[in-house]
Amino acid sequence: MVDMNPLKPLQPMPLSMMQYFRESYIVQGWLVLMLCFFFGGTLSGVQLKLNPIIEENKANETKQRIPELLLGPSEAQQPLDLKLHTIEVEKKGRKVFYNVYEARFADGKLAGWVTKAVGQGYADRIELLLGLDPNAEKITGVFILDQKETPGLGNKIVTEKWRSQFAGKETKQLLTVVKGGVKADHQIDAISGATISSKSVTAIINTAVNDLKGKLRG
Amino acid sequence: MAEQPTASERFIQGILPENPVYRQVLGLCPTLAVTNGMKPAMTMAGAVLFVLVCSNIITSLIRGLLKPHLRIIVFTLTIATFVTIADRFLAAFMYDMSKALGPYIPLIIVNCIIICRCEVCASKQGVFTAASDAVGQSLGYALALSSIAIVREVLGTGMIFGYRVLPEAWPDWSIMILPPGAFLTLGLLMGTVNWFSERK
Amino acid sequence: MNYIVDILLIAISAALVNNFVLYYFVGICPFIGVSRRVDMAFGMGCAVTFVISIAAILSWSITVFVLAPGALVTKWAAGFFVSAQEAAQIDLTILCYLVYIFAIASAVQFVEMYVRKFFPPLYKSFGVFLPLITTNCAILFACLTIMSKVVGVDNPADAWDLGRSLTLAVFGGVGFTIAIVIMAGIREELDLCDIPKPFKGPAITMIVAGILAMAFMGFTGVDSGLKNALTPPAQEDVQK
Repeated sequence: MVDMNPLKPLQPMPLSMMQYFRESYIVQGWLVLMLCFFFGGTLSGVQLKLNPIIEENKANETKQRIPELLLGPSEAQQPLDLKLHTIEVEKKGRKVFYNVYEARFADGKLAGWVTKAVGQGYADRIELLLGLDPNAEKITGVFILDQKETPGLGNKIVTEKWRSQFAGKETKQLLTVVKGGVKADHQIDAISGATISSKSVTAIINTAVNDLKGKLRG
Repeated sequence: MAEQPTASERFIQGILPENPVYRQVLGLCPTLAVTNGMKPAMTMAGAVLFVLVCSNIITSLIRGLLKPHLRIIVFTLTIATFVTIADRFLAAFMYDMSKALGPYIPLIIVNCIIICRCEVCASKQGVFTAASDAVGQSLGYALALSSIAIVREVLGTGMIFGYRVLPEAWPDWSIMILPPGAFLTLGLLMGTVNWFSERK
Repeated sequence: MNYIVDILLIAISAALVNNFVLYYFVGICPFIGVSRRVDMAFGMGCAVTFVISIAAILSWSITVFVLAPGALVTKWAAGFFVSAQEAAQIDLTILCYLVYIFAIASAVQFVEMYVRKFFPPLYKSFGVFLPLITTNCAILFACLTIMSKVVGVDNPADAWDLGRSLTLAVFGGVGFTIAIVIMAGIREELDLCDIPKPFKGPAITMIVAGILAMAFMGFTGVDSGLKNALTPPAQEDVQK
């Protein structure tokens, strides 16, 4: 068994000069202070060295998805110039911000827009990327960045098969979720056993499209 | 005072006889949370290895200067610093994993294993013994994590490290990668380990 | 109205849906160690709730006023040494783990002294648990969750204020209390059962916790359902 409490009472015993010095409060305080300086220096070194890499990682997470979202998987190798805008939308007295990437081809032609959108899912927040064509008339693709839906059911929203339904949908009409087969253009087939997750994703997309439709111009 | 174990004894004790999870029942929070796959479990074990070795070495180096009433502060300071370093390194070089592990990396600070090893071993013994104790304990921890993670990942998804080992027809037991699966697996494995060690 | 709905959702989510113990696995050590008797479990739960609220207030203020990029105090202090523009960019979030753990440790010390001096009966009922709480992951976990909601959110309007943070902390503590009290109730009964010897102690507790976690999974979706019921869903809001 592990001895969890080996703190023993200080025994009164004659101290030699050296021991007295070692156990005085000044030396102890000095030790903690030195450790603080040492650790502080180490941490600032780590921060200076690694922070640029971490920031880049965070940005890349979004950026590397953009070509695939806008141009489709077959032409995803094409390089795009990206510019980040923050778009402010006023909704019922509440301000909502969207981080929108403007993507242009090398020759300056607008390729489309990619925005980050968040909303409530079945279990937790769902964070996704939504690609729109230059005039925001069509959805070009959807990618789920973060979700905690039920494994085996709701988390099928991340699959290519389900996400690809959104590509090519027009933004004129709101998307609706139906069960068991799509009959009209603006319909999305629900994942069986995960209707709420499917509806949540569609609602997030509808809201984002509706907020941004008028604001994105080439 | 009782004779302190030597470096090799410390090393071996950490792996099975004093296994941090099965024997000492310490550090259960990350054990349960990150074992839904082998990859996060091994990353976690690596982070614990780094933090435990570094803080054991530092503690052992300054053990002559420490006084009882200040030692907990010094331990915590040391551990928190190394956890921050480990966290930053993960975020810089294994961004996916750092995102998947989320708050459980910083929670190593309050993991009882590390402060317990600083207290029991490193603050009393030399640098070499402390280091081998740290490696032994972390290996024991890694062993415990991987035993749970293998059961959960294979039954939950039919895969290990993302490679399929069970046939496609396997109906994934989603419950195993959900929170209840963690409790059930650990409970059953713990009972099994107890049963084996009693039979010996 | 929106704000009240927000608070309600955070509360339900922290206490039931994403229970600290049964969903996030934090605070397992006291959950296993101090769940032998219902009254002790309740005392532990109260102590955790109390400390977690204080830690949440502390960590929220420290994060917002000192650690976050462009925080007031740091900006003011650094303004003496560097230009105002550089001072506004100082980001101290790397220190957050160190600062939080010390904030928690000192908060626990002060609470213990204060309660012992001014509320002796209260101290008798849960004072013994206070020192144990310093190394309880639930507290640090609450601080970290609050930090992740304050620093680095895309939308500045979404950053949590003190009210939201405190709600998360208090109801996280309530959730912990609920879980540990239920567990203690079951364990009191388990003492009368004939359990195979190797499973006695932590092993059977884990299995019971697994079944409890399954029961709590039934709450999944309650928060999103409530949100849809309380706030008009996106569909209607678009068609007007």
